[in-house]
Amino acid sequence: MNVGFIGLGLMGRPMALHLEKAGHALHLWARRPDSLKPFAGVNAKTHASPAQVAAHAEVVIVMVADAPDVEAVCLGVDGLASGGKPGLIVVDMSTINPNAARSIGLRLAEKGIEFVDAPVSGGETGAINAALTVMAGGKPAAFEKVKPLLEKMGKSVTLIGDSGAGQVAKACNQILTGVGVLAVAEAFNFATKSGVDAGKVREALLGGFAYSKILENHGQRMLDRNFKPGFKAWMHQKDLRIVMEEAHRMGLMLPSAAATAQVFNAIVGSGMGENDSITALQLLEKVSTPAP
Amino acid sequence: MNIGFIGLGAMGAPMAGHLLQAGHAVSVWSRRGASADFLLSRGAARCASPAAVAAASEIVCTNVTGSADVEALADELAPGFAPGAIHVDFSTIAPSAARRIAARYATRGVDFVDAPVSGGSGGAQAATLAIMWGGKSALAIRLQPIFEVLGKTIVHVGETGAGQVAKACNQMVMVAAIEAAAEAARLADAAGIDFSKVRAAMMRGSAGSRVLEVFGGRMATREFAAGVEARLHHKDYALLLDEATRLGVPLPVSAAVGQQLNALMGQGWGQDDTSSLLRVLESAGQRGPAP
Repeated sequence: MNVGFIGLGLMGRPMALHLEKAGHALHLWARRPDSLKPFAGVNAKTHASPAQVAAHAEVVIVMVADAPDVEAVCLGVDGLASGGKPGLIVVDMSTINPNAARSIGLRLAEKGIEFVDAPVSGGETGAINAALTVMAGGKPAAFEKVKPLLEKMGKSVTLIGDSGAGQVAKACNQILTGVGVLAVAEAFNFATKSGVDAGKVREALLGGFAYSKILENHGQRMLDRNFKPGFKAWMHQKDLRIVMEEAHRMGLMLPSAAATAQVFNAIVGSGMGENDSITALQLLEKVSTPAP
Repeated sequence: MNIGFIGLGAMGAPMAGHLLQAGHAVSVWSRRGASADFLLSRGAARCASPAAVAAASEIVCTNVTGSADVEALADELAPGFAPGAIHVDFSTIAPSAARRIAARYATRGVDFVDAPVSGGSGGAQAATLAIMWGGKSALAIRLQPIFEVLGKTIVHVGETGAGQVAKACNQMVMVAAIEAAAEAARLADAAGIDFSKVRAAMMRGSAGSRVLEVFGGRMATREFAAGVEARLHHKDYALLLDEATRLGVPLPVSAAVGQQLNALMGQGWGQDDTSSLLRVLESAGQRGPAP
């Protein structure tokens, strides 16, 4: 299949390469020509604009930073909408505001272009290992057409509901992981400052109702004091901003997520935003009494 | 002086009225014609467009709702302004939006001043508003006499956007205090104690405050009609929490208060007074006095 791919960063690059390896012809455009280098010598054609990518592809995948970027790629000057034929399917795998996703979907629909929001969880490691969790929103027919592509990049691919539903699921994911990472950091700091070995606490807790993947994986990385990303703290801050914007728009009370978002503000403001989210532990240590 | 005024709501209408009374020539424009009638009857001139207001005025005042409203209005005003004119915006908007508008005007030699106010419609009617403004300090000579017609406390906080930062701080401190008063009212009531007595005792001590007096008073008498419509405070919280995210500053109490405001909106009390934060507390947890 002719597949367009826009957004060849840490996540997008390995994802696009998985599609090429599976036998698909790639059509690429990148803001920075450097991002195209890893695609020399593979079945990939470079184009001058998103519009041209859209003109050559049946499906275009977008993997960029935030809603304004997705909007520019889809609906801006020389965007996908200006080059795509009716029937084109645009799959946005970025994490953006669900309401923004719905609005982009509606505007593409005016041109006969289908839009599927399909944000992912699993980070750079998940992208490299084609082990991402993909949460999709859109029309079932469009989803079925792109599902085989998504399965080349992810291990678990689920249609959650209508347009925007994938982003809602991703927002839920970020509430759980954000609050979860902070909870583990708080527990470990509590144990250490009480003079108790956090590693032993983790080991004991893994057998009980407090078990979670975050306690297991993120917890181990906290014990190893390995704060390299992973998933960067500033990205978690951005994702929680989306969550809180939606809570504000709908009049929802999310007290834990709101408190967690403030801790991520403190992390980013302290210059720790490039670390993994588990750097929350370092922030707590910094503002707490020294260990005994 | 020739002054334009756009945004003739509960705040803007009395403010424009004070300017007329002080002897200024006031030009107005309003989307809904009727909202200007009161001012027209007192000598204001009606213009056909925002650009016409700008063309007729040395200073144009605006008092609308959100960042997007002010930005759209600035685009409509811009072609009418002569160089040297000033756009004074009394709305509460994002500091970044204020800075954007100022930058766009700068190419035309027009100044933008963000001058959000505190004091509500009561303060607007009594001309006792607190006005916190941001913009070039040299503009004070022209603006101070006008501000003095509208308010009692006038502070030049700093460059463009500084007024909005001050307003964000104002809202943060005030609504957190309303929430604290609501929580005190809830605790007293749940314990079977008359909050109006608790409030009277507190008013004379260290916890005494304007908020406890005004909003605490509304809670004690359960008068939840606005006052200050809670939806406006809710809107302001989106602005200030967004600034906190942008700057990397943790505001844990404000974030918690923001969630109580979300719950207030979710229950449909947005057009009631912010003292409705008490009703949010009552909608969860023990209702009556302890058994």
